[in-house]
Amino acid sequence: MDHLARRLEALLFISPRPVATTELAAACAASEVEVTAALDALRAEFAGGRHGLELAAVGGGHTFTVADDCAEAVRELTGAQRPDDLTPALLETLAVVAYLQPVTRADVADVRGVSSEWALTSLEQRGLVEQQGRAETPGSPLLYGTGERFLKLFGLRETGELPPLEEFALSADDAAAIRARLLANAEARRS
Amino acid sequence: MTPGATAVDLEAAVAPSERLELDLDVFDGPFDLLVTLILKDEIDIWEVRVSRIIAEYVVRLAEREEFDLDATSQFVLLVAALLEMKSRLLLEQDVEEALDELDPEEAARELLARLVRYGQFRNAGAHLGERWALHAGRLYRAAPTPAALLRRPADDVVLPAGMLAAALAPLLEEPPRPDTSHLADLAVSLVAELRRLRTILDADGAFSFHDVAPQSRLERALTFFALLELHAQGEARLRQRRAFDDIVVTRVAPAPA
Repeated sequence: MDHLARRLEALLFISPRPVATTELAAACAASEVEVTAALDALRAEFAGGRHGLELAAVGGGHTFTVADDCAEAVRELTGAQRPDDLTPALLETLAVVAYLQPVTRADVADVRGVSSEWALTSLEQRGLVEQQGRAETPGSPLLYGTGERFLKLFGLRETGELPPLEEFALSADDAAAIRARLLANAEARRS
Repeated sequence: MTPGATAVDLEAAVAPSERLELDLDVFDGPFDLLVTLILKDEIDIWEVRVSRIIAEYVVRLAEREEFDLDATSQFVLLVAALLEMKSRLLLEQDVEEALDELDPEEAARELLARLVRYGQFRNAGAHLGERWALHAGRLYRAAPTPAALLRRPADDVVLPAGMLAAALAPLLEEPPRPDTSHLADLAVSLVAELRRLRTILDADGAFSFHDVAPQSRLERALTFFALLELHAQGEARLRQRRAFDDIVVTRVAPAPA
């Protein structure tokens, strides 16, 4: 491993949160291209189960993460718990916030068709959603978005890594089935 | 929320000891009975003016010597529930009216668009669920950096002492005195003004406010207060033909002994 990769390893070891490529480059007086190449070498070095750590690109930067097969021992030592699973309603609300951020409570409720106060509060308490100022609309409602914890827990470097929303569109068959059902209801209502 | 959904909460909240008697257009009796009748759909909540109930309660509060916090809290709770029921019914009616105006096919199209949009996010939520299952258990370095390692020299910057002095100097300056020129001492007191008006009344038997009042707004107000005081004491009669007209003050003849 070259000297730059070793210095990056030291920086990532000492940093309590993910460090961006630009920050690493500035600290090592190297170009971003050089840092990216050295990070690749470092990633290869820590891959394949040779170490208890792996290099991950999450939360807007690079950081070490405990290898899956070592997590149990770490939890035993530190008492760290795996976060409670999210219900479908929470995941759905989180998806609205992640894709449309910054959003107001009303925006979320508009998409879901139900009040989402409880879901947003719950996500906020879990640190997955955070307040990001106020909208310049009547009443100045709070705006919500996702933060670093969201990226880490979903293994994302940035929200832009999420698949495009269009990929989740209903299939033509599903949409047609819904449409037929709605029209049948509308006809029954008219008669 | 339907009226029935709140029945248990509301009935439990009514304190038997705290009965507010109401005399409304549609109802005459205790408040808790009114709530019960509304919940049983025997009285239409549209017919009930909640503001009247509040007004009656405020009057009753004013008549009482002691303030019962518990009873008042329960009252506020009941009134809030009534208002919520009323406002929700208002909204439901609007939605129904809006739906009635829509052509069924158009309504179905709108609903379809909403469902398709919602479906996208439901699927996206499922995708997030898959990612969560994979990544949420990951353990990252979370310890804060030791404080000793955070200490960094100020990038070789040396500031001349003069800059510190220049930065601190404005803090040592006396702030300018606030301009109080618009404030003026009141030249007359109510007692002095009463004395002056009594003297004029004694001498002339009558005067007009316009003739005796000073120019300054504040002093004119004081003269007006003095007039009211003379009237209250039964010493003078005030007459004004119409609003904003001059006020004529005449002396009231002392009652014969």
